[in-house]
Amino acid sequence: MHKGVTVELKATVLGHLFGLPITNSLLMTWLVMAILIIFAIWVGRNLKMIPGKLQAGIEMAFDGVIGYMAETLESESLARRFFPLIATIFLFVLVSNELEFFPGVGSIGIFHGTEFAPLLRAPTADLNLTLALAFISFFTIEITGLAMLGFFKYAGKYVNVTSPVGFAVGIIEVISNLGRIISFSFRLFGNIFAGEVMIAVAGFFLPYLLPAPLMGFEMFVGLIQAVVFSMLTLFFIKMAIADPHESSH
Amino acid sequence: MGQLFAAFGLDGSLLLAQAINFGVLMVVLWFVLYKPVMKMLEARRQKIAQGVEDAEKAAQKLATADEEASSRVRGAEQEADSILTLARKSGQTERERIIKEAEARSAAIEADADARAKETAAKTLRDSEKEVARLAVLAAEKVLRQKAS
Repeated sequence: MHKGVTVELKATVLGHLFGLPITNSLLMTWLVMAILIIFAIWVGRNLKMIPGKLQAGIEMAFDGVIGYMAETLESESLARRFFPLIATIFLFVLVSNELEFFPGVGSIGIFHGTEFAPLLRAPTADLNLTLALAFISFFTIEITGLAMLGFFKYAGKYVNVTSPVGFAVGIIEVISNLGRIISFSFRLFGNIFAGEVMIAVAGFFLPYLLPAPLMGFEMFVGLIQAVVFSMLTLFFIKMAIADPHESSH
Repeated sequence: MGQLFAAFGLDGSLLLAQAINFGVLMVVLWFVLYKPVMKMLEARRQKIAQGVEDAEKAAQKLATADEEASSRVRGAEQEADSILTLARKSGQTERERIIKEAEARSAAIEADADARAKETAAKTLRDSEKEVARLAVLAAEKVLRQKAS
């Protein structure tokens, strides 16, 4: 047993399967996937022409998101094409963040000798997942820009030799685009991980009352982070497909 | 750099696994949730459009039906009017004919009765004249008989 607050920056490896380290956050990722897929199948099977409350709510959300995306991307077909990505990022990050506060997550585990290893850890509190999501987001953005604008036009955003100022702007653009990988991954990881640490510390000092309002706040943060990740992906896609000559005016 | 990666537990295979996890989740959700919901939204949109169109058609039909009904009523009224005037006219002529006939008949009956009355009166006169003559003869006989005795 241990005393005080232990903070694990990284997910704990519980075992290995075909050379793949099985961490507690990977287990939780599968749990989140299972929950989402079961929910999706259940909803998808029970769709009716005259919707119930749940279906009406889901349809309203879909319509609202697609409407907002179409407004942002200024194209209905692009909105429909990117909707699965944006919606899945949102749902996945949201469920990962919120599931963290269910009893058992982080508290049920196994002992390796004297060391306690929780079975489940919020996937978003593991840099592997947030970095993977950041890469997916980044490549989607860059490939979309390439496909929509064409190679030379898109490359012209970053390599601009017409003027020294243009060249510098291009370099800055490259750095800021690459920086998105870091900002995407560490923003999500940092927020969720910090929330866990804060609740752990509060629970150490005042275990019965203080963690409750903090958990409420962290659930809100979890929602906000899910919104931020998906919205930023959407906005960066919009920026990538914007014509460089139009957007510079 | 390697130390930094180790501190955060970064691992190439885990990174790939999580990326694949997300991809799998996205594809599954795409087919079991997003597509069906979109299809349902589209189907309902079409159904509503169809409903609105049908309602418009029905309203148009109703309007034409109303018009037809009122025109028919107008036609029927006109016909009834003409039938009524015709009936009135024919009634009038029939009445006149009946009255004329009745007058003629009453005149004939009157003339007949008149003639009969006159004949009766004449006959009565004749009869009474005969009686008077006979009585006169009888009276004269009586007187003569008295005188003779």
